[in-house]
Amino acid sequence: MPFRRHPRRPLFFAAAFRGLLLLSVLGVGGCSNSPHPEPLAEKSENGAPWKARYSALPEDPRSLDPQVTYDNVSRRIMEPVQECLLEYHPFKTDPYELRPCLLTQLPVRTEREGGGISYQCELKSGILFHDDPCFPGGKGRELEAKDVEFAFQRMADPKVECPVVSTLQDYIEGLGETFEAARKSGEFDYSKPLSGLKVTGRYTFEIRLKEAYPQLLYWLAMHFTSPVAREAVEYYDGKTHEGVARELFRFHPVATGPFRIAEWKRNTRIRLQRNPGYRTTAFPTEGWEAAQEGLLRPLAGRALPLVDEVSFTIFRESIPIFLLFRQGYLDGMGVGKDAFSSLITPSKDLSAKYLERGVTLHRDTEPSTYFMSINMEDPVLGPNKKLRQALSAAFNAQGYLDVFFNSVPIVAEQLLPPGIAGYQKDFRNPYAFNLEKAKALMVEAGYPGGRDASGKTLELTLDTNGGSADERLMAEFEQRQFEAIGIKVKVIENPFARLMEKMDQGSFQISAGSGWGADYPDPENFFFLYYSKNLPPTGKNHSRYKNPEFDRLFETMATMENSPEREQIARKLNMILSEDVPHLLTLHRSVFGLTQPWAPRVQSNPMLEGGLKYAVVDEALREKLRGDWNRKPLWPALLLAACVVSAGTFALNVYRRS
Amino acid sequence: MAAFDLVWVQNLSVFTGYALLGGALWRVAGTERWKAAWHRLRGDRTGMAALALICVFLLVGTLESFSVPQPTGSRTLLQLATAGIPQEKGYSAPLATTTLSVANPTPLAGRHLLGTDALGRDTLVQTLRATRSALWIGGLTSIIYIPLGVLLGILAAFYRGWVDDVVQYFYSTVAAVPEILMLVSILMVLGKGLGTMAIALGITGWVGMARLIRGETLRQVERPYVAAARAMGQSDWKILMRHLLPNVMHLVLIKAVLGFSGLVLAEAVLSYLGVGSPVGTASWGAMIDASRSELSREPFVWWNISTSAGALFLLVLALNLFGDSLRRAFDPKHG
Repeated sequence: MPFRRHPRRPLFFAAAFRGLLLLSVLGVGGCSNSPHPEPLAEKSENGAPWKARYSALPEDPRSLDPQVTYDNVSRRIMEPVQECLLEYHPFKTDPYELRPCLLTQLPVRTEREGGGISYQCELKSGILFHDDPCFPGGKGRELEAKDVEFAFQRMADPKVECPVVSTLQDYIEGLGETFEAARKSGEFDYSKPLSGLKVTGRYTFEIRLKEAYPQLLYWLAMHFTSPVAREAVEYYDGKTHEGVARELFRFHPVATGPFRIAEWKRNTRIRLQRNPGYRTTAFPTEGWEAAQEGLLRPLAGRALPLVDEVSFTIFRESIPIFLLFRQGYLDGMGVGKDAFSSLITPSKDLSAKYLERGVTLHRDTEPSTYFMSINMEDPVLGPNKKLRQALSAAFNAQGYLDVFFNSVPIVAEQLLPPGIAGYQKDFRNPYAFNLEKAKALMVEAGYPGGRDASGKTLELTLDTNGGSADERLMAEFEQRQFEAIGIKVKVIENPFARLMEKMDQGSFQISAGSGWGADYPDPENFFFLYYSKNLPPTGKNHSRYKNPEFDRLFETMATMENSPEREQIARKLNMILSEDVPHLLTLHRSVFGLTQPWAPRVQSNPMLEGGLKYAVVDEALREKLRGDWNRKPLWPALLLAACVVSAGTFALNVYRRS
Repeated sequence: MAAFDLVWVQNLSVFTGYALLGGALWRVAGTERWKAAWHRLRGDRTGMAALALICVFLLVGTLESFSVPQPTGSRTLLQLATAGIPQEKGYSAPLATTTLSVANPTPLAGRHLLGTDALGRDTLVQTLRATRSALWIGGLTSIIYIPLGVLLGILAAFYRGWVDDVVQYFYSTVAAVPEILMLVSILMVLGKGLGTMAIALGITGWVGMARLIRGETLRQVERPYVAAARAMGQSDWKILMRHLLPNVMHLVLIKAVLGFSGLVLAEAVLSYLGVGSPVGTASWGAMIDASRSELSREPFVWWNISTSAGALFLLVLALNLFGDSLRRAFDPKHG
């Protein structure tokens, strides 16, 4: 028997060696690179395989209170959870069409005796709120007209801070008066009914307007008028009751939508689960384009929603979204600046690699217009129309799009974006980029070569939203545009809140990066930005534009029903603004989006925030393709094992020899 | 004409700055100690190479600081010298013939040794122009913090007692506040700009100088020559100015050179944080900040960050090497 010193030590080495080997094999074979947790269930109630959609979200929703939420990110979660009285038809976008959602039919307009307009509405019966502990027995109760009344009262409650009261109070009876009274007394009395909303039956109610306002129907398709259960608001008060902490209502919506929130892990993910009791709407039976026939015909009339789960993962950076999409772990993504060049070819098509995979490219134009506001009360810019025109002609909007947006958006020639009644397809901004014209206009404006009569260089300040490197580059670009016609531009970078404050106070000359996205597809929602009775701080006329002719035409147009005459007026308003240049137009936002072959796009209505209840997914195809795209190569595992074996053998040998 | 006044103020201040520096050096250059140090320094090859590099940066910064009125507004000498380099439409790689834009590659108007940035500006020219920000910050701050630190340090050590207590109290308090937080908050209050940045850095920067000078002066005050001057009935002011100050001046020079590199870095850091140089002023920190997104795009843009970081590295390295050489040259032990 050979002599062995310290017989235990080699045993330890050998054990460790075996352990390492085991670990490396397990580690390679056992893990998956899926970033998602297991789905909420394996099978849906009827035994069909569980269908889950995976999306990305840039940040947590700020609030899911229907009377408060105004930002897009929150609305993406709000929409599938909380439904509105009316909704946009998912396919009919030219022109946009409303269809009833919680209501049985579109509201009926009636003239009241002694002036005023009323809309008679009726809720569908049998719509149930989500099951929630705030209701007796935890069972959701039926939706009634009093819930709509409660929602309207909440709009008038100053403590709720509804952002659209200032607009609606001009039209809905009693809204402004109640709001003012409650603000003075500091207390809102929910027992007193609001005169603008009269409950006339269990399911029926009447909305009373001071004057004609056809846009009211659009407001009924927004969340501000969505019914709210009083029990839920009272129950979720953010305090601790009997040792149990309750969330705030704005983080715990209790509604009637096709989905409900199953999990919300802050800064990580939100998971929505199908509401099994949802019967309110069904898949439309017509209205789609012929090309979609094959995909959509089988879905016509089906119960909604079409998937069981929607999982949103929160990503603050854009690169992981692209990587996970490439591996098949996200069903869709927006094409950002970073990944643009590897996804899109010079001719604006999808690159071959992704085309082969069956990925589809979508181009979405949002009904929005971006511009720089000019302060019309500024002593230099306000009275000098030619100077404003010169500024407009000096700004190379196409160059701006090429540098910062990969040339995807459309150069804005007019205030109205495409798709809004009154948009003129072949209208060209008379003061679009033309450097020679800009220089000539500068001469007419009294600043030849950028100098005034005494030879002093004209100096303007440009207020921007500062902070990021991109914003800085944009500001430098804008600065250089105006320097080309001899104007010296001083850029002031502001934190966002400070910029808003300056715009409200009117303490700026030119403010970069303003924009307006349509609340509803109506020209009134854009032209009111220049209506003289809509001045800040309550209004949005940041340019402080005042023009009696414009006001007169606007007032006529605002309360008209859509008609050719109305479009005619919209065109006139457009001409006035183009000539007066209270803003420097830049772009209509447009973005590229991608969808995976297993999750084809069903609708692309820009007025919907995702339209998740119409979303479809082919689970089996995803499983297969994801496996193909993520083949685990064997060689790293073998290499690792070989390294471990050789190092272990070497160590043992060294030990034995010593 | 009124419009040109600002340009001439700037030109004049650059000139004054050089004159002051030259005058100060001229005054001390005659002394035995400085002559010996210069002799030693000339034998130090690294130190001389670093000095040469610093002079190149100084030259570039000076060219960018002198402006000449032109019909289309004032232009700096550097801008005039590089006016022949054409403006492009967007990113282009070093020596490329088309823009990097995959969507819309257009032929370039000229070749660019180190490529162009997002707005189509030549990266090399931008980097050279950014030298001005770095040097101005270093120079302006030095004008603020050196006199402040030297004066307070020397007074504290000379008078001791309550003067010393007050000075020590102040610099301990300033040193106790985290520097970057203090800088950012001062800049938030005063607003962006090279001048405000220099003030902010000056307010936080004098502590090190005051400490060093106080320590050295404490040592010098005990030396017989000070006692002799006192015995001869010289005034405090004369003792301070004629005897103590020249004897601590070499420390001021070493500390100023080493501190300059810290200031150049601070400018880059503040611009990177977005509170530094204003829009329209080239700055290495802002270029590095912009390249965060450039590195994550595909194909990625590496030339902006490499060039600006390289220039920053070279200047800081040269200043540090030269500072070390100065210290060695003045060190009596090496004599």
